[in-house]
Amino acid sequence: MRALPVVLAFAVWVAPGLCVAQSASATPRPSDTLPDWSGVWSMVGGTVFDRATQTGQGGATSVGVRSHPPYNAEWEAIYKSHLERRDKNLFPDTISNCGVPAGFPRHFNLPDPYEFVVRPEQVWVLTENGPNILRIYTDGRKHLDDQWATYTGDSVGHWEGDTLVFTTVALKGFRDKDVILDRTGLVLSDQSRATTRIRKIDPKTIQVEMTIEDPKALTKPWVVTKQFQKMPAGTRVYDYGCAENNRNPADVETGKTLILGPDGKPLNK
Amino acid sequence: MRTHALLLGSAAIALFLGVAQSTLAEAHHSGAGFNSDKVIELTGTIKEFQFTNPHTWIQIIVEDAKGSKVEWSLEWGSPNSLGRQGIRPSTFPPGAKVSMRLRPMLNGAPAGAFVGAKFTDGTTVGRWE
Repeated sequence: MRALPVVLAFAVWVAPGLCVAQSASATPRPSDTLPDWSGVWSMVGGTVFDRATQTGQGGATSVGVRSHPPYNAEWEAIYKSHLERRDKNLFPDTISNCGVPAGFPRHFNLPDPYEFVVRPEQVWVLTENGPNILRIYTDGRKHLDDQWATYTGDSVGHWEGDTLVFTTVALKGFRDKDVILDRTGLVLSDQSRATTRIRKIDPKTIQVEMTIEDPKALTKPWVVTKQFQKMPAGTRVYDYGCAENNRNPADVETGKTLILGPDGKPLNK
Repeated sequence: MRTHALLLGSAAIALFLGVAQSTLAEAHHSGAGFNSDKVIELTGTIKEFQFTNPHTWIQIIVEDAKGSKVEWSLEWGSPNSLGRQGIRPSTFPPGAKVSMRLRPMLNGAPAGAFVGAKFTDGTTVGRWE
């Protein structure tokens, strides 16, 4: 019984110190110590993860480096069914719905310019296409225990030298059938999460390495590397506004991608 | 001076065409519906250049063999990507006579994916070699 007051006193004495220590470690790095990722960047290569699925389809005709997720049998079957529907033009790209975020990890698999905005307490990755915003908190906060799932999830991280390291959790994945990783229909589950490392590997190249884990869909971690090349100085970034004049909507009944004529009626219904 | 005239003689033309084409193919949808193995040529009058997201569309009035006027829709890249490469809404001014090369729709409907254009004064836009 006598020990309790001692323990409480110790806790009262130590706790503020722990708080201070945690706060000190969470202090954002001063901006003048952060790397310079200014400018406008564009992704190197195509927007399809597994180029082997593209032969004769979707505009590309050459087989490239296979970057196929290590699916288990159940999710490989799901992906194959998407490819079969894609080949019949019956698997619309969900971003054709105009307004649905690309989500993570597709955020790093888009055409058009990127901007990497480095601030002491957050890093923002902005994409013209969409547009989309990925916020990575670097102010020491943790993921919420009760974070609900979203398209882009929740990203928190820290700096290791000039490398930004962050984890992304709380992803919807393919739970609601409205998130795919590319237009071939590549998908991950709502159990997916990632650890990402971003660094500038030379003055004109930013590299993003994502290690994606998904106990529901994958048999082992899937490592995906994307590179972004600096665009000419002065490059402007514009509105995207997909809903402005989308003449390629998906038919809600069949999933077919339509081509609308000048009167708004489908030419290929 | 029309904007597209500024592009003449530029060695960058072939480059931007490649980029613009890949943008159409990569960005919003698969491009399914167009015949990727066939290019046809039409001559007509520009009605409108829809310099809008997510893709631009060139509307052209073409007279068919029976003398009927048909409106064709030619899909091109995003206005943002094309704009960064020098294309402007004024590149295809309404009323201009122009010949167009396109990859037509598989089902024969009056639409296609834009390949290139040549104006009556000889200036070209896109791939026209």
